[in-house]
Amino acid sequence: MTVFVCEDSLESMLTCIYDAWYSRLGHDNVRLRVAPVDQLNMFDTYVHVEADIKKAMAVADAINVKISPAFYSEVVFTLGAYEPDALDTVYRVLALGFRLGAGVLDAYGYNAVARFKAIRIRFGREVSSFIEFARFNRLGDVFVSHIEPKSRVLLPVCEHFSDRMPSEYWIIIDDVHREAAVHPINSRYYIRKLSDEEFERLRTTEDYEDSFTAMWRAYFEHIAIEERNNPACQLNHFAKWKRKHVTEFI
Amino acid sequence: MYDIINDLSTMDKLQILADAAKYDVACTSSGVDRKGKEGFLGNSCAAGICHSFAADGRCISLLKILMSNHCIHDCKYCINRRSNDVQRATFTPDEICNLVIEFYKRNYIEGLFLSSGVLNSPEYTMELICRTLSLLRNKYRFNGYIHVKAIPGAPEELLAQAGLLADRISLNLELPNSESLKKLAPGKNFNNIVKPMAQISGTIAAHRVAIGKTPQMERAVINNRLENNIFSRMRIETSGDHKLIVPEKALDRDLRRPFAPAGMSTQMIVGATQDSDLELITVSEQLYKNFDLKRVFFSAYVPLNEDAALPAKDSAVPLLREHRLYQADWLLRYYGFSASELLSPERPNFNEAIDPKCDWAVRHLDVFPVEVNTAPADVLIRVPGIGPKSLERIFRARRYGGLTFDALKKMGVVLKRAKYFITCGGKMMDRIPIEERFIVNRLTDVDRREVYNFSDRTSYRQMSIFDYGLEAAGR
Repeated sequence: MTVFVCEDSLESMLTCIYDAWYSRLGHDNVRLRVAPVDQLNMFDTYVHVEADIKKAMAVADAINVKISPAFYSEVVFTLGAYEPDALDTVYRVLALGFRLGAGVLDAYGYNAVARFKAIRIRFGREVSSFIEFARFNRLGDVFVSHIEPKSRVLLPVCEHFSDRMPSEYWIIIDDVHREAAVHPINSRYYIRKLSDEEFERLRTTEDYEDSFTAMWRAYFEHIAIEERNNPACQLNHFAKWKRKHVTEFI
Repeated sequence: MYDIINDLSTMDKLQILADAAKYDVACTSSGVDRKGKEGFLGNSCAAGICHSFAADGRCISLLKILMSNHCIHDCKYCINRRSNDVQRATFTPDEICNLVIEFYKRNYIEGLFLSSGVLNSPEYTMELICRTLSLLRNKYRFNGYIHVKAIPGAPEELLAQAGLLADRISLNLELPNSESLKKLAPGKNFNNIVKPMAQISGTIAAHRVAIGKTPQMERAVINNRLENNIFSRMRIETSGDHKLIVPEKALDRDLRRPFAPAGMSTQMIVGATQDSDLELITVSEQLYKNFDLKRVFFSAYVPLNEDAALPAKDSAVPLLREHRLYQADWLLRYYGFSASELLSPERPNFNEAIDPKCDWAVRHLDVFPVEVNTAPADVLIRVPGIGPKSLERIFRARRYGGLTFDALKKMGVVLKRAKYFITCGGKMMDRIPIEERFIVNRLTDVDRREVYNFSDRTSYRQMSIFDYGLEAAGR
């Protein structure tokens, strides 16, 4: 078995798919992983893949043209998920997709497809929960939010907020992947990697509180009906790992 | 008329009026898709977005507050009734607008749910509400979701204005028939609630037709697959006296908006009177059919007031009953059931031990087992454990070959319920006798935990030696 290992970015994952495909070892004889690989196996060969924009574009174009643009967007979303087998699953589904067409995503009989759908659905839910639970603090005229997602949800989350608050200045910071999305008033947002120094400076934005944070906490307390108290239900809907930067739980 | 002036801060008012509003159950921001606009704040998403979950596990999607908790009525079940000695407060329109805008920008809420006690008169209160909404939409340029409560007895012009400013408008029926309403809410009149409801539904339909939509509200996509769902033979009146008089002002730019695009909803109290589940669910079906309501909400009665006509103050909140009613409500709207199939005058209440869908299935074992690979949609959707989503997946996957139990599991079919009612390729999953008592026993076991979670846990709990006066060491 040959294992192709790449970095955690879309470009290098697509390059990894390209290299594994054109290694001509056969789909059953290759595995794809994202670095770091925790446990090396004695009988496997590991090949490190460097990102290559040309190869990545070739894969993206092939999926868009030969399968469908909708299929490509599903693939991109699934590659953003944190599951360690996401990349390998995408590879298996692509092998089926090139053979059988875009409709293959409905064929739950294939294990790879079932797994792909499971990852995609979970990723979608993670995106919605950060759309729901991202909380902004007001610093002058800028609204700043910190999130700690497991997967790379920053892009779809920002898409939502750029529609929701087009005429506000806001920043969303992904503390895990150290990326920030900046949205100036009435224009497109952009996403950039943060240096350590910038990241440390932005961490302090969480200390800003005003009368509305206090009012929100009071409202949150008062809206619950005491006679119906149900912490298990609350926990089901609002898991603890999602509560890290949420105003009412700090 | 004297006005009592007090110097409550916005924080105090928020606490008082949130406390007063929390027994209203509707907190949904769903039903309308609206893109954001430059210069405005907010958008709306048809699926709705919940922003938090309170300690009682209910979602917080909208800022749910009353305009005022002063009330001229003395409804026995209500915390804000005239005869109760509670702290009273009234928001000013600007206070509400500020709260909504600031909360919305911080992503705490998806919009506003504005209701009110009847302050001075229905006209006065409704006017205050309309003024608030108008400020919010036009001065504060808010483009998010607004759910407004129509005050029974308010003039038509104001209802029309509220409908044009809000996304959803609701009128609380509270009780399913006029006798119960007379008993518990002597100041209210059943016709005063039903008449504006008919008018609003007619106005919504007329406005929908005017912009090239069907007069009926959009329903879940699954209903297209189900031939005999409750919405399929609906008739909506769009003419005559079933319409509100939309004021001349509606031609203004300020009011040029779709009329209540997210439809209308209502709420009924469960457990305050002797009304049966059959009555509640039949009334819901009628409301869906006749007034095209988008939702009917049920609110388990929380004993707040001492009164001879009401359950005692220490009686348990009927949470499980409320849960069963919601399950049945979903069966009406998503599964093509009708109220008469679920309950009958001989069995007027839902079985507490198993859910209504399982209950129906075990009483109709002649239909089962069905073959997953060939069964039509309206049969398959009635299998416990198969819902609209998994049904859609089954139908798509059937084009690519036969299904197995393994594939069904991966599609999200709940096999612990479904396995008693389906075959895959002619075989059942296990060796299962198709026998009512056996299946009921097994399904009761599946539901046991859920039932326990909803049951009243204050009366039964694990005994502890500390109950007998012993104290823990070192205390």
